[in-house]
Amino acid sequence: MEASPLVGVGILLLIAYVFFYLPRSQIRHILVIVILFMIGYALVVTVAEMPVFGSANTPAYNYVAKRYLEGTVAETGAINVISAIILDYRAFDTLGEATVLFVAIAAAIANLKAH
Amino acid sequence: MDDLVIRSVSRLVVPFIQLYGLYVIFYGHLSPGGGFAGGAIVASSMILYGLSFNLEAGSRKLGHDVSSFMESGGAIWYLIIGLLGILFGSNFLANRYAGVSLGTPGQLFSGGIIFFLSLGIGVKVASTMITLFYSLSGGEDSSGSNN
Repeated sequence: MEASPLVGVGILLLIAYVFFYLPRSQIRHILVIVILFMIGYALVVTVAEMPVFGSANTPAYNYVAKRYLEGTVAETGAINVISAIILDYRAFDTLGEATVLFVAIAAAIANLKAH
Repeated sequence: MDDLVIRSVSRLVVPFIQLYGLYVIFYGHLSPGGGFAGGAIVASSMILYGLSFNLEAGSRKLGHDVSSFMESGGAIWYLIIGLLGILFGSNFLANRYAGVSLGTPGQLFSGGIIFFLSLGIGVKVASTMITLFYSLSGGEDSSGSNN
């Protein structure tokens, strides 16, 4: 699929032309429908190229997953591999998630209490 | 919502939901679950209480001061455990390399800091959901109207 970057740039240029330069008219509606079909086609092509669910040749099954599955019990002492990943291997990432929660609740309280 | 059936059933069910939520938090490194899921279950029990009785009673059970203390305390607890890794001569949030005893895999107290981090996350998620629910439903008008 060497043409896909060109197709993407073409879609973006068409979107920019339609939404910034074209006045509200019949041709604009037709072009919007064409753009939606092009975006939908790109999404369908992307999904069709994804690996089959559960197949062993998925790019995600590389040495990282193998290392986690083989070394979790010896390295972290937890037998739940997912907990070991999110709270030991990627604990800093989970701190970021906790920060997201904190910012969300702080923003909600600040907005609601102001009224 | 003043219904006898809902009030009776929720009075029976709420302790068991909370116990199950605590189980999911504490056994996060042994079985499916963890801090996020368990905190959501504990918070849903409090939300069920507030919906089946009334919102003022629910927000009196867990006031604004307590929930904000839990909110900040969960994050600070996580950070303190992370900084202990530096104090013991390794990286931030280090588990095995900081010299934490990992225990026997499969026991409740195993996995080093995973147990404590899961507890902090659970407290934080529960207080976040409860606070968000009572704030959006307007159940705590009395505590924050004077500032």
